[in-house]
Amino acid sequence: MSKLYRSREGTISAVDTKTQLSTLGSETAPGPLLVPAGIRTLHAVITAMATSQAVAADGSVILRLEGPGLPEGPETLVVGSQGVSVATGGHGSRTANRIILDIPVTVANEILLFGENVGEDVGDVTLGATLEFI
Amino acid sequence: MSRTITVEGDVNAIDTRTLLTSQGSVTAPSLVVPAGMTKIKQFVATGAADGLAAGHGIFFVRLGGNAVLGGEQTIMFGGEDSIAVQAGSDAAPSLGSFFKLDDADIDVRPSDTITIAAELAGVDVGDTTVAITLVYGK
Repeated sequence: MSKLYRSREGTISAVDTKTQLSTLGSETAPGPLLVPAGIRTLHAVITAMATSQAVAADGSVILRLEGPGLPEGPETLVVGSQGVSVATGGHGSRTANRIILDIPVTVANEILLFGENVGEDVGDVTLGATLEFI
Repeated sequence: MSRTITVEGDVNAIDTRTLLTSQGSVTAPSLVVPAGMTKIKQFVATGAADGLAAGHGIFFVRLGGNAVLGGEQTIMFGGEDSIAVQAGSDAAPSLGSFFKLDDADIDVRPSDTITIAAELAGVDVGDTTVAITLVYGK
């Protein structure tokens, strides 16, 4: 069985606030992220993030996975962290990260993705997540 | 046996699907999946931004077209952030990101055409450049 890749992204604007990732770039309303037919597990999650660097602070970013597509309940993953000493003159380039998992899923049910800036407020954060299904 | 295709392009508009159809001096490389190749075995991507706008965006690819079985595949591969410097200061360089997905294992149909598009989602960081390699196999 080959793999299938499904993604969502969104912008987090408040610290310690669960924010749903519900868009995908040029698609402003891609609809629910459903577990595709024939899939048995969430094999990995790939995440990418970027921040506005507009606040002299340091914080981390986490991803929450929830919804009826996850029969064992919600999961959380670390995405990355950010800190700057001044709010001017930053420029970052970040590689996506991939975490291998083995999480059972329920076909045709939705997985909801949420991002959260935890710790200190680092400004705005754009977060993208790809679910790698087998 | 493996075969490769590399495409590149500028992704200069935020939240815009941008087809990658060139390869430097080769303006129109073939996007037909080579005969006998039935999978994308590896996915490799790099991206960088000039940082001339204060923003924060994430790169992702859309692999589609008639050759891709199982529907369009979307994969995140990097992020770019930038904030304007104080007057009279120099900005730090952006060294670019490099992401490699081994065992991508995406089914494709040989001798059919693949489309490779990239997007920067979020808030515009200026101009960006993206290059992507697909490694085909069986």
